[in-house]
Amino acid sequence: MRVDVGSIHDFEDRRVRIVQAGVLEVGVLRWRDRFFAVLNRCPHQKGPVCLGIVSGRLGGAAPGSMDVDDETPVLACPWHGWEFELERGRALWDESYAVKVVPVSIESGRVLLEVGRGRD
Amino acid sequence: MYSGPVIDCDVHHARNTDAELIEYLSKGWREYVTDRGPAGNVPLAVQDGFPNPHGFMRADTYPKGGGEPGSDYATMRAQLLDAQDVRRAILTFGDDSHVAGHHNPYFAAELARAMNDWSAERWLTQDPRLLSSIMVGSQLPDVAAAEVRRHAENSRMVQVMLVDNPFNRGFGHPVFHPIYAAAEETGRPVAIHGGAGGWANPPSTGGGSVSTYFETHVLWPQAIQTHLVSFIAHGVFEKYPGLRVVLIEGGSAWIPSLLWRFDTEYKGLRREVPWLKRLPSEYFARHVWVTSQPLEISPQKENVVELLRSMGLEDRLVYASDYPHWDADEIDYLSTRLPGDWHSRIFFDNACRLYGWKADELKLPGAVASTETR
Repeated sequence: MRVDVGSIHDFEDRRVRIVQAGVLEVGVLRWRDRFFAVLNRCPHQKGPVCLGIVSGRLGGAAPGSMDVDDETPVLACPWHGWEFELERGRALWDESYAVKVVPVSIESGRVLLEVGRGRD
Repeated sequence: MYSGPVIDCDVHHARNTDAELIEYLSKGWREYVTDRGPAGNVPLAVQDGFPNPHGFMRADTYPKGGGEPGSDYATMRAQLLDAQDVRRAILTFGDDSHVAGHHNPYFAAELARAMNDWSAERWLTQDPRLLSSIMVGSQLPDVAAAEVRRHAENSRMVQVMLVDNPFNRGFGHPVFHPIYAAAEETGRPVAIHGGAGGWANPPSTGGGSVSTYFETHVLWPQAIQTHLVSFIAHGVFEKYPGLRVVLIEGGSAWIPSLLWRFDTEYKGLRREVPWLKRLPSEYFARHVWVTSQPLEISPQKENVVELLRSMGLEDRLVYASDYPHWDADEIDYLSTRLPGDWHSRIFFDNACRLYGWKADELKLPGAVASTETR
């Protein structure tokens, strides 16, 4: 089932907006011209992950250096700070651990989420 | 009981007189130390520790001919080296090991240099089974690094040893990194020995100073924990991927709980240390070894065994007697506390991996002389 959650203009850049998609609470992030969506539930202790901070992925080429990959948005859960990259929802410290990604597409300027049987 | 070959990773050798060490000082420093008339020598070892009510040495280790425990090779040979099938024993100095507790960094550097020469000439020449630590005055890290490199060609100077902490910073702090660069370059593990708390320079314990040797000895793991966390958080193993570390005399049963906590904290606080590429426990498993002594004694021996097994420590523990100190662990006793299928690993094989020795060759009867490092 596809759910229209608004115009792309309703979404502020680099901000997560929480929308209702059927029975699901989903966080939608606009990252310049890209959109990402994940369930608002952290796999750790079921916290409201989408209320956490969003940033580019921080890295360090060498000890003491602080770099940012601005092409890879990362969401940090507000409950314990666990970080997930939003492309595939994977935790930065374990690729097998992830928030649930919700497929998102843009058609005619509208943001559409794919939710439903087998997808949530 | 275990009766196979043994590598002992913590044997404290000592000197009896100042003169033994003064001989190895430069002419100027000899003059500095000795030219005090009736005041006697400038003290060579830091003397600011907690007194042990029993004394720090096993009473039976005092040489019959006089002198300090650990100072007489014949006694050490009879009581330790020949008492079991000891193939190698790594010497770790006595009170002199607190050289980094000296306030004067230049004196400490000279003492460390002299101690290493004393150890190589007075001890390593006596028995091919004996190997020595390289002591450094970490107050001057660049000088310490040069001292490590000075021994690069002597494969019987097998590790760089840190005890006291001159900077009140965990040993992972970049100020210490020149020492690790030299250790990695020369293929020597860095050994961090417990027991610095209560001496001249280092902080004592985490929550505040304590009053008795009893307290400080219980809390020895605190300093080791600080250094282990510091090493990993500062990315020392990313910067020096070939570096190996051995934690001496800090116990081991706490390691699983610390690493579980460390991993969990990393998941939430990775943003502060984004140069780390692995979980802390993974760095530990690749780079860190731990001496067996003192093994924590749980009411049921299975308790501590289960803890150690939970972090795979049967492959990271290396045997250490701590001879001739009062709290030394005997092989016979230790072998009753650990599962039989761990014995060869802990008493022998793990140390071979740590120091880069060929276990199969070293197991052959009489095989003690070759000490090729990686």
